[in-house]
Amino acid sequence: MIVPALIGSLPRPVGLAKKIEQYLIGRLSEEKLEEAYRAYTKKAFENLKRANIKIITDGLYRWDDIFNPLIRYIDGIEVNGLFKFYENNFFYRSPVVKGDLSLKENPIPEWIKIAQEIREEVYPEATLKAVLPGPVTLAYHSINEYYKTLDELVEAYKGVIGELMKELDVQIVELQEPALAAELSKATREVEEHVSKDVAKSAIEDLARIKKLWVVTYFGTPQVIPKGVILNVDLVEGELPEGVEGEVGLGIVNARETKMERADRLRDKLRKYMNRFEKIYVTPNTLLDFLPESVAWRKLKLLGKLGGE
Amino acid sequence: MELPILPTSVIGSYPKPRWLLRMYKLRDLGKIPEEDFKEAVKDASVAVLREHERAGVDIPWDGEMWRSEMTEHFTSKIGGFRFYGPVRVWGNAYFNKAAAVDKLEYKEPLVLDEFLWVKENTTREIVKVPITGPYTIAEWSFNEYYPDKESFVMDLAKIINRELKTLEDHGALYIQLDEPAMLNHPDEVPLAVDAINRAVKGIKIKVGLHVCYSNYYLLADYFDDIKVTQFALEFANRQFRDMDFLKKLSNKELGFGVVDVHNPRIESVEEIVRAIKKAFEYLEPEWLYINPDCGLKLLDRKIAYQKLVNMVKAVKIVRKELEKEGKTSTEFRTLKDI
Repeated sequence: MIVPALIGSLPRPVGLAKKIEQYLIGRLSEEKLEEAYRAYTKKAFENLKRANIKIITDGLYRWDDIFNPLIRYIDGIEVNGLFKFYENNFFYRSPVVKGDLSLKENPIPEWIKIAQEIREEVYPEATLKAVLPGPVTLAYHSINEYYKTLDELVEAYKGVIGELMKELDVQIVELQEPALAAELSKATREVEEHVSKDVAKSAIEDLARIKKLWVVTYFGTPQVIPKGVILNVDLVEGELPEGVEGEVGLGIVNARETKMERADRLRDKLRKYMNRFEKIYVTPNTLLDFLPESVAWRKLKLLGKLGGE
Repeated sequence: MELPILPTSVIGSYPKPRWLLRMYKLRDLGKIPEEDFKEAVKDASVAVLREHERAGVDIPWDGEMWRSEMTEHFTSKIGGFRFYGPVRVWGNAYFNKAAAVDKLEYKEPLVLDEFLWVKENTTREIVKVPITGPYTIAEWSFNEYYPDKESFVMDLAKIINRELKTLEDHGALYIQLDEPAMLNHPDEVPLAVDAINRAVKGIKIKVGLHVCYSNYYLLADYFDDIKVTQFALEFANRQFRDMDFLKKLSNKELGFGVVDVHNPRIESVEEIVRAIKKAFEYLEPEWLYINPDCGLKLLDRKIAYQKLVNMVKAVKIVRKELEKEGKTSTEFRTLKDI
């Protein structure tokens, strides 16, 4: 069975970005900004329904990148300068780890609650995932000035994420873990240290004991295959490795190119996986942030047409 | 030609005055005549030039008032591109990322009108003309036409080369190729280098190369192969960490980024003095230019101006110290000299 699903973010609508900017310079109240977030999320859910996307996220409209604002709510972290997110013209602010990590009071559970309410109102048959950065990707993208090794940092992040996961009103948590497939780009940062595969695998499997996990990898083939999770694999820039079991997410639509794929070719591509897996989630291969909004929605509609086979 | 030692410059962009942003919006909506829009752009251009001059910058520019954005401006003037809408770069910053849908074609000069206007309106002998490089234009566009990246990039290199020749013919002395994306794919760096070298083919004036927010160790392997006179790089954003790659730089200048353009905190004069002296651990002062990390356009205009003021004040302090060693000027190096 093929189920169309969204992973990670939708492109933040320019109209919403303008509201956020107005808020940041004191020209819009917090209440009005919150109204805008809700209105745009509602519109996104209506569009996802029209596009036949069955598993959804809140589009990360409140997030600047997959790390921010979460890292602002972790004690022991300072937020540093801008770095390229892999080889994209898309940037993130980096966490600088200065001390023991622990979760601070944060609004993320409330944001998820609000998204659930909107989903219930406009698209109750959909399943909403909460999206968080995974501990391995967080560790690789941090400037570590405190923990002795990157492995220790992964463990510390795992503690924080686990704590947050418990507070989220969802059945499934999506962990953004491109670092399982793509080494931190040498184009951006010179990191000599690596996370051991065993530590990466066990950290994710430990989190999978808290809630069902959907682990999203992209920009390559995953080098770590955690068990007991839905592993999302980028079929555009990587491939499905041996050893993936259970349900699987296949990123088959290219979210970094405007050229539209043909539905018949995508179906052909999927055919060989249908014998191997009972349930396949078809997704974009990476964040839709990399596309203009209009193209992103066209790609989602295309995905939606693949469902149900 | 000689310049004062540690010449100060900018990288390119500067905050647009709010009224100009409104004019851009009105133009997008088709609510003002093109003539009025152009007049506004020209006025803003002079206002920013004066601001750079008032801050004491030796080699100014007009802050790219004529350009909506650093790639969009070029892709909108080169034939063969189309636009689908804005794509987010960071936070609430977007650009209209174009898609190549046909063979690219040089239809009209890309920045000549800006250069001529700036030249006519500045009191400085030399201005820096920033131009987005061929690899970055390709990397920051979608490709629906070319069979491979190489043919896409090299067609752009030919187009940029034509623009550089046009600028040189019209009296430009100093061009900066902006290639912030050139290290994005480590295996494609040789292609980016070839494209830059193709873009400067036959050019004799001064050419700088600006690369930012990247792993400079990758760039350092190609310092000798890239036909430019200067590398203008960002250092404040990375808090002057990991500068050892500079050991590979010889017989080329460094444009040293001393103020962070993504942080509203204004660096103190003393802090900038210390940063400049740190660069002396790697290069003789005669090979050093001082500039902000990158374009200043995302900052509040007052903050951007004060950052420039402090940068120039810091340079003046260091110049006084260098004067005691008899170092007061530096040669204006061009491609003919390397």
